[in-house]
Amino acid sequence: MQLRQPRPLRPLISLVPLIDVMLILLVFFMVTSTFLDLDMFPTVGGNDLQTSRSEATDQVNLTPVLLRLNSNGRVTTQGRSYDVNELGEILALRLSEVPATEILLLPSPAASLQSLIDVMDRVTQVGAQNLRVIRLEARQ
Amino acid sequence: MKLRAQTRRPHHETIIALIDVVFFLLVFFMLIGRMEATAPFDVVPPIAQTGSDLPAGGLAISVDNDGALALGDTLVEHDALLAHVAEAITHQPDKLIRVTANGSTRLQQVLPLVAEIEALGAKEVALVVTPDPT
Repeated sequence: MQLRQPRPLRPLISLVPLIDVMLILLVFFMVTSTFLDLDMFPTVGGNDLQTSRSEATDQVNLTPVLLRLNSNGRVTTQGRSYDVNELGEILALRLSEVPATEILLLPSPAASLQSLIDVMDRVTQVGAQNLRVIRLEARQ
Repeated sequence: MKLRAQTRRPHHETIIALIDVVFFLLVFFMLIGRMEATAPFDVVPPIAQTGSDLPAGGLAISVDNDGALALGDTLVEHDALLAHVAEAITHQPDKLIRVTANGSTRLQQVLPLVAEIEALGAKEVALVVTPDPT
């Protein structure tokens, strides 16, 4: 006669509380999290575009380029008005001659933030190393 | 002869797979999501192609088109906002201050505020942008 050894009983640990807790956490994170993908443009500190005159000031023949951002989003420099793409071509030409050219951007208070970002974008894309935004005065 | 009906074995649904999926989703949302207060008004940041990654944390300031200001998820007055920023900077001068405004917001609502924050001694101020999807 063969005696079968009884199987040891498996410990019964209820998984229900675990699932409850995990579902609560899951719902919590789903509800409270935001999933916006955001970038930034540093305007103070930590940005070479903004703060540095760097080595550029040590070089000769570094006349800065002054860009005036108008309220309609166009940029005026040296008496002529350009859209952002045309501006990119002009700046690219200038930067190919003098790569460390400092670019000063004077925005109109009535210009939109998007137009400022567009110009900063374009200037960065053409390889400018020194971009300074001339700030408007703080409110008194 | 009486035949006993076979007792049905209870059907054990495996819940291990459920736990796996829930756990996976939990980790996903914990890693991908940001837990940040959102402004009490709608803000759609401008689109940029060359922005740098926005780190988490710091002070979140939102500016509405009409000049309304929010710190995190709370509407604040201009002076109260600056007082709060000044206090935060005192404790942590390199605290990142994120200024979020609509792309259509006039610069007169944004840049003077940035200048004021800088005048308080802030070392890290950034304009929040949305990366260009194209």
